Amino acid sequence: MIWQLDLILLIFLVITALISLRVRDLLGASMVFGIYSFLICLLWAGMGAVDVAFTEAAVGAGVSTVILVATVYHTRRVTGGHKRASGMKVLSLLLMLVLGGVLLHASGDFPALGDPTSPANDHPVAQYYIEGSYQDTKVPNLVTSVLADYRGYDTLFETVVVFVAGIGILAVIGVPTARMRREEVCGDTAQFGEDSDLIILQTCRLVVPVLQLFALYVIAHGHHSPGGGFQGGVLFGASYILLALSGGLREALRRLSESMSFRLAACGIVIYAGFGLLCMALGSSFLDYAILDSILPGGVAMARSHSMLIVEAGVGFTVTTILFVIYANLATRGKLEGGL
Amino acid sequence: MELLTLTAQFEWILGKSNYWASTVLLLIGLHAMISKNNLIKKLIGMSIFQTGIILFYVSAGAKHGAQIPIVHYGHDSHESHDKAAHAAEHAADAGQQVAEAAAPAANHAANHAADATHTLGETLYVNPLPHVLMLTAIVVGVATLGLALAMVQKVYAAYGSIEEDEVLDAIADSTADSTVDSTVDRTVKGTPEA
Repeated sequence: MIWQLDLILLIFLVITALISLRVRDLLGASMVFGIYSFLICLLWAGMGAVDVAFTEAAVGAGVSTVILVATVYHTRRVTGGHKRASGMKVLSLLLMLVLGGVLLHASGDFPALGDPTSPANDHPVAQYYIEGSYQDTKVPNLVTSVLADYRGYDTLFETVVVFVAGIGILAVIGVPTARMRREEVCGDTAQFGEDSDLIILQTCRLVVPVLQLFALYVIAHGHHSPGGGFQGGVLFGASYILLALSGGLREALRRLSESMSFRLAACGIVIYAGFGLLCMALGSSFLDYAILDSILPGGVAMARSHSMLIVEAGVGFTVTTILFVIYANLATRGKLEGGL
Repeated sequence: MELLTLTAQFEWILGKSNYWASTVLLLIGLHAMISKNNLIKKLIGMSIFQTGIILFYVSAGAKHGAQIPIVHYGHDSHESHDKAAHAAEHAADAGQQVAEAAAPAANHAANHAADATHTLGETLYVNPLPHVLMLTAIVVGVATLGLALAMVQKVYAAYGSIEEDEVLDAIADSTADSTVDSTVDRTVKGTPEA
């Protein structure tokens, strides 16, 4: 941690947060919010939270900005001034004063930042993850082993939440009749990016395969370096979003249709939960990979390591496809034709 | 003396800076969620609120001078093993020459090797637990943001606006219309009975 950098980033964070909320132009606000995400990603990298920084870089600065812009595009770009003087604002400010006072007062009791002996860092569970997990699982990246092994339940249900969000979007803005029509439209052979700019098209044509390859690497190499199913999945989803932005949504949907997306997303959860059930079938607890050394090679520790890879792949399937579904629906108001 | 207390104060402030920043971000976000009129601004506020909380958690897991939470299992451990092995060999060589001296030397080398691995195990690593909780929270956050944006688009399709007051007016109008309709219905229904 470099405290100078830390302070500068914190100040810029507050400034960009205020700007993104003050700006009247919603497109500008979305862009400034992207900058905010990037700054906080730097802050996390500085604090040693490399996996969190990676996720934030892909999600906050990338995908969430894109879906915000898509919504601004389909609604109204400029937000008007307040027509009525809202008593809510005064009330809210009062509440903030009280809440802020309480929280700042409480912060006096917090241990100093970066104190290795603080209760959160000194807790036996956290200590065990640092000291024992490499012996247990042979996975050097502690975040991966805690994510996919020790706290497997948590991760499984976070993945389910992502899946449910995808279904929710379909339920909220999906337009069934337009969807039927699109299936027919898909039959004709549209040229890739017929109405796109040549330079953008050719650049994306080069970038997309590299991005997908990198996403697979991030999933597969998550045991040894920052990365894993969530980060790789976001990157893979982003590659399809890039394809849709450059070559048209129709082209992207031709490669990964919406029904296929949902099938793969469900598949991801089935892989994850199925692996947990397999452990139960072999006579141990749900998601207790140690029992799998009878079918996976390399002893107990390696069985846990291999199981994590498979589980992370399942997470990757779900995150990839659901992010693409979110983009595809938001960019077309649920009609899946046209697009940005 | 004066200077010392100043630096101590400065360190105290630095130790709290992240918590204060997370509080400020949290308040900014919550205030935006309550008082902003525009629905997209409310959602940006929600995301800022979320990052404030994530900042709190990640700060709680930070340690001064710590490594990133990826165990350094590569060169160092091999090196120290090699060193230990070499030391043991040397000790063994020495042992062939002076039998009595060999045993304690070999023991010493073995102890050294054990010490080396022990210190490796005690390299300070950042607490990985908050990172795990927060990275899944970020991905779930984008999924919920997507769902919320879908609802915003739906609101726009239904009421032609994403400003809270205009939407509320539109809802008030439509409910007023529907109550008029229902009274009309009732009177229409009522007439044949009468």
